[in-house]
Amino acid sequence: MKRLQRAAVLVELADEMRARGSWCGETHLQKATYFLQELFDHELDFEFILYKHGPFSFDLRDELMSMRADGLMTLTRQPYPYGPTLAPTEAGEQMKATYPKTLRNRRTAIDFVAEHLGHKDVNQLERVATALYVTRESGGNVPARAREINALKPHISIESAAQAVEEVDAMLVEVEQLKAA
Amino acid sequence: MASAPREIRDPIHVFVTVSKNERLVLDSRPFQRLRNIHQLAMTYLVYPGASHKRFEHSLGVMHLAAVMFDVVTSRDKVTDRVREILPDEEDLPYWRSVLKIAALCHDMGHLPFSHAAEDELLPMGTSHEDMTRSIIDSEAMAQVWDAVEPHSVKKDHVIKLALGPKKAKGLVFSTWEEILADLITGDIFGADRIDYLLRDSHHIGVAYGRFDHHRLIQTLKILPPAATPPNAEAAEEGKVVDTTETSALELGVERGGLESAEALQLARYFMFSQVYLHPVRMIYDLHLKDFLVDWLTVDYDGTYPTDVDRFLNLTDNEVMAALLRAANDTTTAGHEAASRIINRQHFKVFYSRRPGDVAIFADSTRAIFQAAEQEFGPENVRYADGRKSGIPVTFTVQDRDGKPAASTAVSDAFERLLQPKDEFVYILPELRKKAQKWVTKHGQDIIEAAKQNEQEEDIQEEPEKEVVDP
Repeated sequence: MKRLQRAAVLVELADEMRARGSWCGETHLQKATYFLQELFDHELDFEFILYKHGPFSFDLRDELMSMRADGLMTLTRQPYPYGPTLAPTEAGEQMKATYPKTLRNRRTAIDFVAEHLGHKDVNQLERVATALYVTRESGGNVPARAREINALKPHISIESAAQAVEEVDAMLVEVEQLKAA
Repeated sequence: MASAPREIRDPIHVFVTVSKNERLVLDSRPFQRLRNIHQLAMTYLVYPGASHKRFEHSLGVMHLAAVMFDVVTSRDKVTDRVREILPDEEDLPYWRSVLKIAALCHDMGHLPFSHAAEDELLPMGTSHEDMTRSIIDSEAMAQVWDAVEPHSVKKDHVIKLALGPKKAKGLVFSTWEEILADLITGDIFGADRIDYLLRDSHHIGVAYGRFDHHRLIQTLKILPPAATPPNAEAAEEGKVVDTTETSALELGVERGGLESAEALQLARYFMFSQVYLHPVRMIYDLHLKDFLVDWLTVDYDGTYPTDVDRFLNLTDNEVMAALLRAANDTTTAGHEAASRIINRQHFKVFYSRRPGDVAIFADSTRAIFQAAEQEFGPENVRYADGRKSGIPVTFTVQDRDGKPAASTAVSDAFERLLQPKDEFVYILPELRKKAQKWVTKHGQDIIEAAKQNEQEEDIQEEPEKEVVDP
């Protein structure tokens, strides 16, 4: 995928997350991109690792900085004490018109991710994204994955980890149904 | 009886104290090799003072990392939550020792002339950090790990802290290990960044890289991140869950260090703008890469060897000797590029990133480069991109009331801090005037055409037809 084509996908994802009420800071966009790539769109080709707050891509961080340098995305400070938000600029919005086919082909996927993640705060995103990471990397039944999440991220209780795993499993079923439709 | 620590004089930190264990690393072949690896590649061709090496930088990183460790683990800084992730108190000396050794080792895998184009000079998928890992894991270091006392240092711990989560592929980090790795290689407060800014600035003779690092380090603290609302509505209604007890801890700074943190990030911006992304420095990197590609193709298998023993035999000295030979012998591989470096006949900038052009098409500079390759021949045109040298600005500040806040919420500077974004297109010196005229005449058309070429047709994709062999 070409760089600007990929940037257009990120702009669209940010738009849809914001449309669902997401705060849309970097963490929100990181986790949403992780879900989009992992569930639907391997062409995005960001390398994610398990980091402080769950799956994280340094490539994606670099890409977002490049997009800011190119005036496609902007960082906006928010009321005390909250972190900043990322929002597409007018130039970013205009760029989407260059890639109608790319965005149309990803419409269902982007909507799915925004619908499921757009309302979540960073802690909820960390839990559910780590649950997807563990599901992909290790598998196993719900209690086993919950224990692994708790071992990796001790601040996530086994109970809330289990809920996150169940949520991910339900999402995976939905994704299969979407792909089959 | 343990031998007393030794002190090494240093222009930045005055004295760097080195223990017996650390001297074992210092005296190892991989570390001594760093005496012959320039910190800033060929920047000395632009700034003559930039002749310092990875050796002294690595000592500086070790010194700073140790000071930072002592600050963040001091009793007055450790809250109950932090105590949960800290190892037992009797194990802290072990981790301090690992941290210092990892800091010494963190640059061992650098190629000759440091960063220059390692993507193309190492086998695909291998980075200098992978080489660092291989070296730490090698025979060359095995006797060091065996000899380290009184706690035998686990080399896996050294690898984790030297590389950090970003580069230590396949290794899982605890929160504690992540924080320690951040003390060395962290994007915001890493000792690596602090030392190179101060040291590069000192040697080059520019003031931009200096800032009050003493104050910054004394105010470092392990903190939970500030709460973030799920949406703006929740923020306005005050429906934000306090997550300070349930979020992963990370490295942050007390309010008293905020201005120093601002100064650090400004220093980075100015050093990138004035030094690291200097157009002449960048073209020398490209000429050096051109030379190395040719030289490695003839004398090696096209890339630097990844076998540790052969790798360690290569320093700037071997490359410089080959460069001089090639510059003086027209029949030698890489002669053209070598001659450009040695005789200072580097390509010249004829077009650099223009905001107005970027507003039309974000990849306008690359579009000019590709068109120039067609017009003047690919051998006569080069392109350098500095847009990915971003400066992260979001971290946690412990405000005066003791609560965590986002850096951008307590400082105007971070939102306004520009990202480095230089791009340059270079050409053979003899063609510069012609290229300037050409870009003046055709530049806008080229950019418009590139934008049009990028435009996808807005039609449903036809299903691919089955291809039948005739």
